[in-house]
Amino acid sequence: MSLFRRDAAPKEKLEGVVTFFGSHHALRAESVLKKAGHAVRLVPGPREISPNCGVALRFVQERKGEIADLLKQSSVQYEGIHHYPEK
Amino acid sequence: MSVLYLDNAATSWPKPPSVPRAMSGAVRHGGGNPGRSGHTKSIQAGRTVLGARELLAELFHVHDPSHIVFTKNATEALNIVLFGLLRPGDRVLTTSMEHNSVLRPLAALTGAGVVVDFVEAGTDGLVSPDEVAARLGAGTRLAVVTHASNVTGTVNDITAIGAICRARGVRLLVDAAQSAGCIPIDLELLPADYLAFSGHKGLLGPQGTGGLFVRQEADLAPLTRGGTGSLSDREDQPEFLPDRFESGTLNVPGIAGLAAGASYLLKRGVESVAAYDRRLRSAFLAALAGDPRVKVFGGAESIPHTGVVSIRIDGISPSTAGEALEKRFGILTRIGLHCAPRAHRTIGTFPDGTVRLGWGPFTRERDMVKAARAILALAGGK
Repeated sequence: MSLFRRDAAPKEKLEGVVTFFGSHHALRAESVLKKAGHAVRLVPGPREISPNCGVALRFVQERKGEIADLLKQSSVQYEGIHHYPEK
Repeated sequence: MSVLYLDNAATSWPKPPSVPRAMSGAVRHGGGNPGRSGHTKSIQAGRTVLGARELLAELFHVHDPSHIVFTKNATEALNIVLFGLLRPGDRVLTTSMEHNSVLRPLAALTGAGVVVDFVEAGTDGLVSPDEVAARLGAGTRLAVVTHASNVTGTVNDITAIGAICRARGVRLLVDAAQSAGCIPIDLELLPADYLAFSGHKGLLGPQGTGGLFVRQEADLAPLTRGGTGSLSDREDQPEFLPDRFESGTLNVPGIAGLAAGASYLLKRGVESVAAYDRRLRSAFLAALAGDPRVKVFGGAESIPHTGVVSIRIDGISPSTAGEALEKRFGILTRIGLHCAPRAHRTIGTFPDGTVRLGWGPFTRERDMVKAARAILALAGGK
């Protein structure tokens, strides 16, 4: 099957999660990171790691350093960055 | 008879077609309360609001969009700063050209022990930066200055005034109700601590929208407190921007419309709108041809102006003139005191006021010539 789909790169696993205090910052993080070409996805905030705003942002764990830098440069306030693989 | 709308200084009309389209889309297909849930509709509404914040941040050269707070109008934005910052014993400096949106909160604060000092503008409506420097006292905490007058359209040298305030350690609140979207505003260069703007005037959004730029939120108390969707386990108000000042559900359809207005302006360019407004002013004045029966306020043509002019016609009260302009020529203007009694005292037109014409990016040059000819006809007793 995969022999016929040479362009299909394996989908990157979004095992990192950024949590936020407020949704503006979650959405702003999504906007900033998408513009910079990062694979990210907004998800309902996992209760175990954040009691705060409704949404959190999944990202590729290996890019953690780069992502933290970008968020800082863009003055996005976040609560924490966690390794939290999807169950 | 066709209608010629020349009251854009009160609220702009028409809007770019993208504005009602965006609003209708937000109501028909949007739904969802921004920041309140993790479901698709809530996130979509949140993206609409963020998109608007990002466009306004781009328009005003603000690095971090969270420093743009949405309000229902410029008045609310001004109230947030005046009541959130000033405490009994504080001094505040303002000018004789301010709107009642500044004067009335300050009158209430005077009753609460705040001391208000006024800088008198010239009869052309301009506030002199030197006068501001001379009137700043040792205890002055805040200066509140209008960027452009809603009566004369004169544009103050707000950058010079801001530099003086900054050098003296006084914060500056700029009332940009008449300037936002009409003349360029660059908050990287303008030393303003707060800037209040209207969404439904120069920014071409719908009524019920406005906002406040807050450079530093730390000691500014919110005017309203309530649900923000954030830190919901706590009963105290979040301290971070924009949630600190945005309690309760936002006007998402309005904000979607405002985003469309800002987007239109970014494409057309605010500098180009400002140049267009100046061209229409020149066309209007040229058509009046210096007729001595028509008095034009707002000083020399060389002074920068927005798309606003105040006039009076010899022997005809502003209210009679305004009525005749509508009934006989279909021209809609605004007459009277324009919620700025001190400004009218300053230019010598209190208590009758003036006839104010306010044009916008969709007014045509021939509309201005038509208005001037109608005014001349009234002046000639026709």
